[in-house]
Amino acid sequence: MSKVNKLVCVVDDDQSVRRSLGRLLKSAGYAAEPFSSAEDYLAREIFEGSICLILDVHMPGLKGPGLQEALEKRGACEQIVFLTGHGNVPTATQAMKKGAVDFLTKPFDDEELILAVKRALERAEEQLRRRRERREARGRIGKLTPREFEVLRFVVMGLLNKQIAAELRTAEKTIKVHRGRVMQKLGVTSVPDLVRISQCAGVAPARHSA
Amino acid sequence: MMRAIAQPLDGGMSSTAESEQGRLDYRPFLAALLVFAAYYFGAKIGFALTFQPHPVSVLWPPNSILLAALLLTPRRIWWVVLLAAFPAHLLAELQSHVPSTMVFCWFISNSCEALIGAGCVRYLIECPVRFDRLRNVGIFCFFAAFLGPFLSSFLDATFVVINHWGQGGYWEIWRLRFTSNVLAALTLAPLIVTWTAEGIAWLGKIRRQRFLEASLLLLGLLSVDTIVFYKLAPTAETTLLYLPLPFLIWAAVRFGSRGASAAVCTLTFLAIWSASHGYGPFFAKSAEENALSIQMFLIVMSVPLMLLAALIEERAKTETALRGREERISLAAESADLAFWTINFERNESWMSDNGRTIFGFAPDEPLSRELFLSRVHPEDRIAMDEAIERARAASQTFEVEYRLLRPDGEIRWLISRGRYLRDDRGEVSELIVVAIDVTAQFKANLQLRLQREEMAHMSRVSSMGELTASLAHELNQPLSAIVSNAAAGRRFLAQGSHDLKVFEELLADVAADARRAGDIIHGIRDFVRKREGTRRLVNLNEIIREVLRLLHSDLLGRATSVETQLTPNLPMVDADPVNVQQVLLNLLMNSLEAMQLKPAAKRRILISTRREADSSVVTSVRDYGGGLPEEDMDKVFTHFYSTKPNGMGMGLTIVRSIIEAHGGKLWAENVDEGARFFFTLPVTRKSETREVA
Repeated sequence: MSKVNKLVCVVDDDQSVRRSLGRLLKSAGYAAEPFSSAEDYLAREIFEGSICLILDVHMPGLKGPGLQEALEKRGACEQIVFLTGHGNVPTATQAMKKGAVDFLTKPFDDEELILAVKRALERAEEQLRRRRERREARGRIGKLTPREFEVLRFVVMGLLNKQIAAELRTAEKTIKVHRGRVMQKLGVTSVPDLVRISQCAGVAPARHSA
Repeated sequence: MMRAIAQPLDGGMSSTAESEQGRLDYRPFLAALLVFAAYYFGAKIGFALTFQPHPVSVLWPPNSILLAALLLTPRRIWWVVLLAAFPAHLLAELQSHVPSTMVFCWFISNSCEALIGAGCVRYLIECPVRFDRLRNVGIFCFFAAFLGPFLSSFLDATFVVINHWGQGGYWEIWRLRFTSNVLAALTLAPLIVTWTAEGIAWLGKIRRQRFLEASLLLLGLLSVDTIVFYKLAPTAETTLLYLPLPFLIWAAVRFGSRGASAAVCTLTFLAIWSASHGYGPFFAKSAEENALSIQMFLIVMSVPLMLLAALIEERAKTETALRGREERISLAAESADLAFWTINFERNESWMSDNGRTIFGFAPDEPLSRELFLSRVHPEDRIAMDEAIERARAASQTFEVEYRLLRPDGEIRWLISRGRYLRDDRGEVSELIVVAIDVTAQFKANLQLRLQREEMAHMSRVSSMGELTASLAHELNQPLSAIVSNAAAGRRFLAQGSHDLKVFEELLADVAADARRAGDIIHGIRDFVRKREGTRRLVNLNEIIREVLRLLHSDLLGRATSVETQLTPNLPMVDADPVNVQQVLLNLLMNSLEAMQLKPAAKRRILISTRREADSSVVTSVRDYGGGLPEEDMDKVFTHFYSTKPNGMGMGLTIVRSIIEAHGGKLWAENVDEGARFFFTLPVTRKSETREVA
């Protein structure tokens, strides 16, 4: 992971708004990076940490909601707080539906904004963590043999060794050995941990053949 | 009788076939054969209709048969017709022991008569010869029935005298032959021509009703003729001779030239036949006198009758043609969605096409008048429409007007009418023909376009307020939010114990800059009003109101709102910037329009009035029927950011007030029945004071 894992970006065409927001964010302990247009932001190299985007709705060129859409397509995990000159209910609803953290009307309350930024960063971090875990879990599960993977899916379903052996038409002893290998390879010691890591990686439980 | 009709019918039929340019070779021969037969039997009839013992023929058919044959055949086969008639002539005459020289001479005079008549008629009447026009009948009567016999009779009498054949003198012979040939030409030739010219195909198309009527007519005519000419004693009242007249007129009126000629022939044959057999009123005097009186009677009867028949046919034809034209016009009108109507000023009668009635919303059988028509025109366009009609009438020009219709169902339609005046024989305007096209759809589309365009032009200029205020709010929010953010940041820095003066210096500089920026934006509004001060002049408010109404014309139409004005005449001038006052009026009017947009069209009314106040100011009021202002907010209306409109910014009236106050006037509002009334005053100033009013 990179050293700075939190970033707040301000995208607004008005310079004084950018400057004042930067100052306000700095006072709250956040490093803010200013961008004067949506295009400028898209040109920035992708940041690997958690990002909060403070985005103006009305801008020349690509508008706020347009950037939100573009980022969604890129598969990034920026969390967005929208700012607007005057409230427009349909725009706000649309933005919130698409996962915006908040939609603030200028001039806004500083506490409100800082709270929104905090929530956005938390959400971004959470999302980032979940992503990381999934990547890790998938890496570990990838090391399993096909047979071990099959056994894992039955274990996750909550079947006993005996039942699994019946399903796979093999001896209970063999299943016991496989299970031990799975626990070892995935680095867990209990069944609940096993279930958690499987869920994290998105492993589907086996379907009952009977 | 029947033979008399049947013969010429056959003869003429083939002649008709001949007139089709003789495509087949046998046709001239057939014509020749029929002419031969007809001529021969005609001569026989002529002999039969002589008054014994004196051999005077009252009616000599062969000449008129020859005339009819020449009228019906193309000129290039006339020689065939004459050649065929010659042997028939010889055969008939030689049987009655006439010397051969005389027979030959008579043929020459008879042929001359037919050739003179047919030649003149064919020269003057374009082929084919019909008795369905007054002109044709006139030409026929004069050239064929009068001139031909008149000239040829000299020849005939000369021949008779040279050959020492007749007993009478030259003039006696001339007169006898002349009258007998005139009668024959008048009765027989039209009969043959009218009954054969179109072949016999038409006989098959006669409806039973017509046939019954014809039979009834024939029966009546025969009975009356029999009574008059057969039963009556020679000494009886000659007035009874007029008894057949009603039947003759019936034939002419109902059956045209065909019926008239047949009826006249029937009358002629019966009269002559009965007289020649010693019956009826024409058997009182000598044979010659009898013959003359019967001829005169029949000639006098037949000429007017033929003219009447021709007149009636001509009229019927014109009517059919007119109806056909009317139908075509109707069809064209319908397919083009046009309305046609005519207004007759003398009778105050109107006619309108079915399509027009649909467009105007008149019932199909509703009687129309100019007043009724005008009542459908939208009240606001009625005077203009009436004026356009009158103006065009006075100048006798074509006019074109664009106007609205207000139909009984409340629907408004846009029409364009073009009209023209028709003048009667005396050159006076008698009728107006108008064609109207329903342009509602195009108008609405145009209006939409115009509205959009004008919204960008004049609307945005004044309603610069509307537009301006929206962008104003957006513009103001930028520096304001920057100020708020900077202030919050500063507070936080202080709370965190940061005392970096450089940071605070920058921060405060930014705050000051943003505050200035906000101030500049606010100044923008005031400048908007103030920067036009140099353009003040003495203006007439009534004129400005009219101008604004012209500017708003299409908006008013588009929003189906009517405007009434009560403008006090001779209003004193006020010192004002005309554009600013326009902006005030436009803003108030737009507010009224918007307030009424949810009201039914009939209720959308705006009343504008001006009057002079005692304190030397002019009060203008704009009253609408939009439901009025909320009572509790009456005093807030003119303050910033107050709006009753869902999308309103609440800046318009503020600007209106700043304009009025800059002019030294007042602006206020009150609720009236069903709506609101806005007032503004502008002081009447003396010219010397005009500069520094603001």
